[in-house]
Amino acid sequence: MSELQRIDETTWEIPASARMDMRVPARIFADEEILEEIAGDLSLDQLQNVATLPGVVGAAIAMPDIHQGYGFPVGGVAATELPDGVVSPGGVGYDINCGVRLLALPLTERDLGDRREALVHEISRAVPAGAGKHGGIRLRGTELDDVLRDGPRALPGVRAEDVERTESEGRLEGADPEAVSERAHLRGRDQLGTMGSGNHFVELQQVEEVLDPDTARVFGLEPGQLTVLIHSGSRGLGHQVCTDYVKLMDSRLASYRIHLPDRQLACAPASSAEGKAYLSAMAAAANFAWANRQAIADAVRRAIRSVLGDDTAARTTQVYDVAHNVAKVELHGGTSVCVHRKGATRAFPAGSPEIPAAYRGVGQPVFIPGSMGTASFVLVGEPGSMERSFGTTCHGAGRRMSRTAARKRVHGSELRRELEARGIVVRCPSPKGLAEEAPFAYKDVDRVVRVVEQAGLARRVARLVPLGVVKG
Amino acid sequence: MYRFVEHTAELEVELEASSAEGVLEDALHAFAELAVSGEGELVERRVELTAPDVPALLAAWLDELLFLADAEGLLPESAEISVDGTTVSGVLRARPGEPRPLVKAVTLHRLRFRSENGVWRGRVVLDV
Repeated sequence: MSELQRIDETTWEIPASARMDMRVPARIFADEEILEEIAGDLSLDQLQNVATLPGVVGAAIAMPDIHQGYGFPVGGVAATELPDGVVSPGGVGYDINCGVRLLALPLTERDLGDRREALVHEISRAVPAGAGKHGGIRLRGTELDDVLRDGPRALPGVRAEDVERTESEGRLEGADPEAVSERAHLRGRDQLGTMGSGNHFVELQQVEEVLDPDTARVFGLEPGQLTVLIHSGSRGLGHQVCTDYVKLMDSRLASYRIHLPDRQLACAPASSAEGKAYLSAMAAAANFAWANRQAIADAVRRAIRSVLGDDTAARTTQVYDVAHNVAKVELHGGTSVCVHRKGATRAFPAGSPEIPAAYRGVGQPVFIPGSMGTASFVLVGEPGSMERSFGTTCHGAGRRMSRTAARKRVHGSELRRELEARGIVVRCPSPKGLAEEAPFAYKDVDRVVRVVEQAGLARRVARLVPLGVVKG
Repeated sequence: MYRFVEHTAELEVELEASSAEGVLEDALHAFAELAVSGEGELVERRVELTAPDVPALLAAWLDELLFLADAEGLLPESAEISVDGTTVSGVLRARPGEPRPLVKAVTLHRLRFRSENGVWRGRVVLDV
């Protein structure tokens, strides 16, 4: 792309002058190899489309794990100035508050010994995966609305420290169940506590390497320790909320005189009736997603209790829970903005009042799952994120190959054998689904996190490797 | 006829038929392939959907199939429908079952549904 300008070692920009309709530049965090991969699909065109949104400020930003999506690219960040800048449901995506939660066990891999397979098996029995409808917590009467308003707090027996160690304490303000359609309610009523499909998973891991011992200690992590990483979102409820509001805003574009290069970017001023209703419904779906990951974490603790005993389950702590598909009202540079993070993670540095008191001295934990069978990372937010990316960093390795191409290259059963040969226990209802998530379908996660570290957005704290994976 | 087209993360479907109804029926078969078949007794549902424009009708049709699969566990098998402008109405036949929850949503990205030289063509990107 000829308009692409290198700003520094890991920052590239397409100036706003590259297209008549761009209001701000498009900024990409990448190294040369990643940039070459990014240029292989429509990610940068989509990023430039985001730069046309009314009220967008600073730059439309791409993280190194960016890949082509629909409307917004995945791995994209855009902030719009309030009150009249737009909010775009497609800028959050269908899986509202898809995110990751990390649990830390009071045991090492050596302590686990030959109980690895039993534990992974028990987790797979405890967490409904794959088939969307059954196995979740059945909510009655007004219970679903309680979850939409209050997130994990609405679930019985939830530990206070789990809530404290969740982004926004698991409850976005302004959530309104009335803004969530009947269809969304119907889709969500029996899906709480289910993982879903696609790239969702629960992974048993061990801390292979600690890169920042002081911060790792604050997060309660040490070498060899067992962890469980949970990746899921708001299930059918969130998907329906996004569908409803994309349609609504698409039908009102003309009345707001908004012209877009892609219909999927449908948006409305955040201060409009449609904008306010979406933010209320999105907050409700985000709260549902936090409750969903809480219910999954509770199921994982039950599995731990069953295999490793009451004491181990009781001492299994939550490190943190972060969203990577959400829009939030935040203050950046003294301006109130709506930060859309689609496949991107908030990464606030030390001192932020938004961080749990226990972590305020070091910064917010961020979890970057690698592809299946490869490493994941624990990062911590750095001051550079506030200066350069609206307090944001990457969210994963980022796909580089289509699902079809992945399936052509490997069969699910072959991949399962490869993973098992490396000692990784695999539980997956669909061999096809397993093949689609093959490690080679993703970018190199080590390279992705090195870029965000070099760019000063977040720094590495620990590297985690898989011992067992339960796929959706 | 329908075919799935390469996309880095999502799934794009291209559709072609001699009528608008044919494209929607093909869309049903593409969706059914992704969601797997039901096993229970055949259920009939009356449908009537109206969209703001013709392309949006294709998205609305697939939204309806997705909702029935996700909320009610009904997997579409066939349809007898007619399209009048931006409205589709008729009967949808489906079987209860356990859908493979691959498709999350129907996007408006690159959405197309129109007649070109007597052939109806559709294109839709699904979030998977």
